[in-house]
Amino acid sequence: MQKEFMLGNEAIARAAAEAGVKVVAGYPGTPATEIVDLCGGYPGVYAEWSTNEKHAFEVATAASLTNQRAMAVMKHNGTNAATDFLMHVNFTGVRAGLVLISADDPGGLSSQCEEDTRILIHNYAHLPMFDPSSVQEAYAMTKAAFALSEQTELVFALRPVMRINHAGGMVEYGEIKQDSRPAEFVIDRKRFVMSAVVEKESGGELRPKMRHRWLNAKQDELKALMEASPFNWTEAAPGETGFVGCGIGYAFLKEAERIHGAKLPILKLSTLPLPEGKVLDFVRGLKRVVVFEEVEPVVENLLKQLCFEHKIVLEVLGRSEFLPKEGELSANLVLTAVKAALEGKPYPAPAPAQYVSARTRTQCSGCSHRGLLIALKEVVRKNGGVVTGDIGCHDAGTFEPMNLQATIYCMGSSIPMAYGVKKAGFAKPVYALIGDSTFFHNGLTGLASAIYNGGDITVIVAYNSTTAMTGFQPHPGSPTNLRQPIAPIEPGAVAAAMGAKVFRCNPYNVEETARVIEEATAAEGVKVVVAEALCYLKFGREGKLSFTPRKVAVDEAVCNGCGLCVRTFGCPAITLKDGKATIEPSGCNGCAVCVSVCKRGAIK
Amino acid sequence: MKFDLVIAGVGGQGNILASQVIAKCAMEAGYNVVNTETKGAAQRGGSVLSHVRIADGEIYSPLVPVGQADVLLGFEPLEALRYINLLSKDGKFIINTAPVPTILANMKVDEYPSTEQIVATIKEKGLDGYFLDATKAAKELGNILLTNVVMLGAFTAVSDVLAPEVILAKLLTMVNEKFHEDDSRAFELGRGMISKEG
Repeated sequence: MQKEFMLGNEAIARAAAEAGVKVVAGYPGTPATEIVDLCGGYPGVYAEWSTNEKHAFEVATAASLTNQRAMAVMKHNGTNAATDFLMHVNFTGVRAGLVLISADDPGGLSSQCEEDTRILIHNYAHLPMFDPSSVQEAYAMTKAAFALSEQTELVFALRPVMRINHAGGMVEYGEIKQDSRPAEFVIDRKRFVMSAVVEKESGGELRPKMRHRWLNAKQDELKALMEASPFNWTEAAPGETGFVGCGIGYAFLKEAERIHGAKLPILKLSTLPLPEGKVLDFVRGLKRVVVFEEVEPVVENLLKQLCFEHKIVLEVLGRSEFLPKEGELSANLVLTAVKAALEGKPYPAPAPAQYVSARTRTQCSGCSHRGLLIALKEVVRKNGGVVTGDIGCHDAGTFEPMNLQATIYCMGSSIPMAYGVKKAGFAKPVYALIGDSTFFHNGLTGLASAIYNGGDITVIVAYNSTTAMTGFQPHPGSPTNLRQPIAPIEPGAVAAAMGAKVFRCNPYNVEETARVIEEATAAEGVKVVVAEALCYLKFGREGKLSFTPRKVAVDEAVCNGCGLCVRTFGCPAITLKDGKATIEPSGCNGCAVCVSVCKRGAIK
Repeated sequence: MKFDLVIAGVGGQGNILASQVIAKCAMEAGYNVVNTETKGAAQRGGSVLSHVRIADGEIYSPLVPVGQADVLLGFEPLEALRYINLLSKDGKFIINTAPVPTILANMKVDEYPSTEQIVATIKEKGLDGYFLDATKAAKELGNILLTNVVMLGAFTAVSDVLAPEVILAKLLTMVNEKFHEDDSRAFELGRGMISKEG
């Protein structure tokens, strides 16, 4: 055993490599992204960025059916996108070990929503899960998951949260063993063809029901495994109130116990299904338990059900009552709850927070999106149009000071929502603003739907050649994939092949961009404007820019301090000082987009 | 032994490098270390908070709990104010007084409090520490990017958890050799600012 400092994502990648993973597929999403990149660095591991999480899960499952250990990696929004596949692979089972990493982001620190994918994977798909409480445990669980997946023929899932993926700690780790099993595909249609087929051997029952029965029958095997699992344990201490720490909830509970200064009766749970024997042993003799989990009352409700089945009278507190129902746990929240529970009082209402001026997310100085946003804003200011938005760096155009996009939902929603607004009879122009990676993720089918159904919208693809928001992962429109250079699939070419009218512009040129968008607006049908400019932050480092940098400054003799540049544009390099606009030279990257914003021509 | 450090700043201020230097030194001294960052999705300009937890035993939460930090380094005054409740009543703060305005304050949607207001709010809490203009010191050395090194030097003057020379040596292994002289000067300057301004 060796010991090293690792981030949670490094520990998960290391464990997968040690477990002999051969194929790793994912789509970037905070906090899980780094796992795929890191897996690609281990010799003999094929890692890829698939176009979306459903496809990543399909690629990994196919590798498992071909007798190779595999892993699919995604954040919770991705698990939503992959749920259709999840609800079939649970019935078929797998061949070689298949691990699903489904990273949750309690509190939505870096997400469009907060949710608990334990509900999808365990409650809904009835698959087993591990919920790590530390980086070391994330390592151990990932490794164990491969072996147990193979043993049970089921997908095993790991549900880390932000505070595991992006936390660093000392990790004891082992050796990488090369897995040399043959890549063979044994056809077994009874398992791997999910269809409403009549099963003669089962008296004519349909296959979906048969496979459902198979999955249900697996649950006893899983419960026995979890009963013996090293990831669940009890810490005895006197008292009538017990505390259940699930995953990271256990880490916060132990921290709270340290500050509290006295040992508490603790049940540490990190598996689903629950180890029912351990749970029953713990609760017998207690009057009350408090369950700490991220973020929905999953374990809490299972515990209540178990008590009901065993006729145990017990007060069970947790996320459904007592604790806050939304948001992330913390050591302080848990400590407050422990004290209240020990005193038999309700969880106290939090003191109102004092607002400190927020640092809202914006585009980097030098980013081409700012040029695109300001051009589009100018167009809709004149024609009263509506912009439906999508996920990506450009989504900060919804905040102050741009206030442009009117909606943000999930990956690819912008296009169908745009033509839905038109189908409802809205008379003014409607624009869908989508990034290139999102366009390939889930935008293509929406575009086909728009064209097929005779939509009348302008789709604007912000084509910066990278998945910038998550840290510059390549996508099909990039010059590389995760492994090597490729010929990019150009979004405009795809759109044209589908029958859209395609327009192009360089968003660093604001006047040209506004003119092209207006031209597209005037045309009929589905128009696609490809606003192409390389991501400044990624490609600028490589010396590749889509603008010619130049010195930009405010002419103080011309500036009247109206503040339009600050109020509507929001470049971090521009501030108002002593009644005049000023450009901080160390913050300015010379893109000169701001020149077009000043109506007096003071920015030169 | 338990030592909790938080570093509050703005993206691009070298907050994460400073936390890595301290974390690595602590590991090499044989301590258990856990760390994490909370940050907005923006590459630059967002609020960044680094947590470094050092102990000779088990560490559970990757986040420093409220009221538990032994030292709070504020690379930016508003960010220090935002996270000041993490500092223990027995802890020490070192706060750089040079503001980085928020976009909302620039737009006059929000108000960016004056340095005097920030100092007063923090002093009202009965906490102990130092205010210094590390940005000005770094500019005087010829490079605003040395601000984090000035702050790191100042840190070694208030905490004896790790030896100053060990921290400086580790920092130098993590930056380009051409900056070594400037970094060493900024580090010593920061150390000196504590005794002078204390």
